[in-house]
Amino acid sequence: MNKVRIIARIDIKNEFVIKGIHLEGLRKVGNPNEMARNYYDDGIDEIVFMDAVAAYYDRNSLSELIQEACVDIFIPITVGGGIRTIDDIKNALKSGADKVAINTKAVQDPDFITQSSKIFGSQCIVSSIEAKLIKDGKWEVYTDNGREPTGKDVVEWAKYVEELGAGEIMLTSIDREGTKKGFDINLYQSVVRSVSIPVIASGGMGNSIDAVRLLKDVNIDAIAIASVLHYKIESIKEIKNALLENQIKVHI
Amino acid sequence: MSKELEAYYGLPSVVKFCKKCVISNQRPSSTIEFKNEKGEKKKVINFNKDGVCSACVYHDEKETGIDWEDRDGKLRSLLDQFRSNDGSYDVIVPGSGGKDSAFTAHILKYKYGMNPLTVTWAPHLYTDIGWKNMQEWMHTGGLDNILYTPNGILHKEMTKNAFHNLLHPFQPFIVGQRIIGPAMAKKFGVKLVMYGENQAEYGNSIEENTNPIMDMDFFSSNDVLGMKFGGVSMQEYIDTGKYTKDDFSPYIAPDKQDLIDNGVEVHYLGYYLKWDPQECYYYSVENTGFQANSVRTEGTYSKYSSIDDKIDPFHYLTTLIKFGIGRCTYDAAQEVRNDKITREEASYLVEKYDTEFPSIYFKEFLEYIDTSEDEFWKTIDKHRSPHIWKKVDGVWKLRHTSSNMGTDD
Amino acid sequence: MKIAIVDYGIGNVRSILSAFENQGVDIFLTSDKKEILKSDGLVLPGVGAFSHGMKSLEGCGLVDVIKEYVASDKPFIGICLGMQMLFERSEEFGETIGLGLIPGKVIKLPTKDDQNEKLPHVSWNELNSKSTQWADTILEGIEEGSDMYFVHSFVAQPKDSNNILSTTEYSNYNFCSSVKKNNIYGCQFHPEKSGKTGLKIIKNFIRICQK
Repeated sequence: MNKVRIIARIDIKNEFVIKGIHLEGLRKVGNPNEMARNYYDDGIDEIVFMDAVAAYYDRNSLSELIQEACVDIFIPITVGGGIRTIDDIKNALKSGADKVAINTKAVQDPDFITQSSKIFGSQCIVSSIEAKLIKDGKWEVYTDNGREPTGKDVVEWAKYVEELGAGEIMLTSIDREGTKKGFDINLYQSVVRSVSIPVIASGGMGNSIDAVRLLKDVNIDAIAIASVLHYKIESIKEIKNALLENQIKVHI
Repeated sequence: MSKELEAYYGLPSVVKFCKKCVISNQRPSSTIEFKNEKGEKKKVINFNKDGVCSACVYHDEKETGIDWEDRDGKLRSLLDQFRSNDGSYDVIVPGSGGKDSAFTAHILKYKYGMNPLTVTWAPHLYTDIGWKNMQEWMHTGGLDNILYTPNGILHKEMTKNAFHNLLHPFQPFIVGQRIIGPAMAKKFGVKLVMYGENQAEYGNSIEENTNPIMDMDFFSSNDVLGMKFGGVSMQEYIDTGKYTKDDFSPYIAPDKQDLIDNGVEVHYLGYYLKWDPQECYYYSVENTGFQANSVRTEGTYSKYSSIDDKIDPFHYLTTLIKFGIGRCTYDAAQEVRNDKITREEASYLVEKYDTEFPSIYFKEFLEYIDTSEDEFWKTIDKHRSPHIWKKVDGVWKLRHTSSNMGTDD
Repeated sequence: MKIAIVDYGIGNVRSILSAFENQGVDIFLTSDKKEILKSDGLVLPGVGAFSHGMKSLEGCGLVDVIKEYVASDKPFIGICLGMQMLFERSEEFGETIGLGLIPGKVIKLPTKDDQNEKLPHVSWNELNSKSTQWADTILEGIEEGSDMYFVHSFVAQPKDSNNILSTTEYSNYNFCSSVKKNNIYGCQFHPEKSGKTGLKIIKNFIRICQK
């Protein structure tokens, strides 16, 4: 069993870190580079920068930010939000990102995943999936930062993106994200048992107990956390220690 | 020399957009709705000599010119006057359980120690998410509520008239909504009614906002039979023989002197607390079980603003038709003022969403107002002011937009 | 002193550049043969498919100059795909010939066919010395069992076990996570992505270049 990766998810609008609830709301909570640097110093394993409003404005504008961040942050960086063309990926990687997260474009044009993983390698392509609970055991794929339903089933879509060549899946529960009410364990269980690529669980962590509950039940490779860090509810050290105390391996 | 275009409703003939937010000078101010009749000249939002609207001016004042600690002190003194100590209700909070009323009622109870009774003037047609949020307001938010649903037969007819005569289907609803707070206060022997935001935030005259108290003219009347619903007076409805005065109970505005004698006061919480609609969203999610809709609302980018009534999108459709500004403009302008988005971003969103037709509940709306699609479009098109709309290749387009992409820009 | 990074259009070079710059060394990206041969240290980055990497090197006409550089005995380090290409061949997508600078081949990471062990291997994982001396190598001063960041599905199998600098366990299989053959170093992991410990390894390489 791999050491579980603890990933900080930083949602950005222009020059601010924002934190919403259910992917809604633009409350400013800090400065992206400052926060990223702090998390790096505190021992985070990876960082995901998401452009929270790329879908609204049909643009993506994180390159400059990433360039600055990469100057003194030496852990893997993933960039997502508004990745729509091969050039977008090239620019993201040139700026220092290691991976890109793709959602809306992939749903509109699944071949984009295949093309980009062929060119850049699948280790570079993360399929970002936004899931909304429909009823027990069924979730629907959303795009455009939780705005547009697609009619697609999350589990089926996850299997499909693996086939297409995605290297990892970042799975966000729209219902839980920002609520600090814990992870939707069923969601992650359903997807993890259907794919063989790494899955990152994102959405809902309020404290380490939530993480322990998830990781004891589901073979999840990484967790992406936001509120718990941005609102300083727990430190990265506290979270990692709690996991170790519960026999869950992490990188110290 | 081009022919000057006619401007309906007495609107300013030159369309201008606020330099700071995206609202236009065509935006109407609040009116006393039950006096609203066909052909009435509209009072509109004011623009100062720098081309900035009064809502933005007021917002800047809010940021720098108000001592909020002092206002909080004033709120506490006010509440101290009205707080009950015998378990009875001491404040009426009108609202639907949307983020703003959820915030208002909850904070009054749990932070300021009041005993609120929330009072809901029922939406025409509850959406599923609206109903859920209303219930959560009680179940999770821990509040008491009275839901008041008026006689649907009359309400539908009034709404139909309002649509065709005023292109303002919400007019009868607004009458009832303004009245229910004070009316319930009178019934329950409660003196204080607390609304959320002040309309001045959105562009009524600024003087209205130096006063925390809602003008009684909005919800009281000395001439009950003369009150107009959909441009038709109560007397005229009764004269058709279909209705009696009994049917109008929910709409009969309390007598002004009566209210004064009973010491009823209607205040805005927005005068005492620095109002931020987005923060109301966060607060209500965290405290009253509020949930945003799972899909974007048609005509805007928002998922949590005003989502409880299926007819609501048609209110904004009519503002688009009459004034050239739709739902997105209202949402975006507010978010620019509250520093959530830039004017550029707002313009972009408005271009993207403002003219989107609300198709999801279109059929239900037509049924509600007993109107055919043909009749619907006839009425709509009749109200397009020539100074706002131009027909290009059979398609109606705006002459002016906030991003200067109109046909005449 | 100047250290060059081979520019053949592949690899997240920005991070490597930053990591070396962070240590205060003069580092630059180049595909120029003269510059490469003149430099005091050479870095071969790389991510993605072996065949794509080799094709790109060949396309840039860099295969011979790399071999020539290595023959000059100056320090060389290959990272991730850059390490894999040092070997003779790879089994990815049929057989592809590598640089052949270290005897051995590249195979797919053997994993058990069960849910627990996925490919690619994406995780922080421990370096084990298995009694190999790390002194005077890029791993000098690194604690046994330190975590490094790995992202790969293929691993190198050096023919000569003396070339194995460290091993790492995944799916009950101990694979070669770093190599040393005289002046040639290779890391399967990404030192430029492995936090402060990774920076130490880069610092060590720089020190070796200074000698």
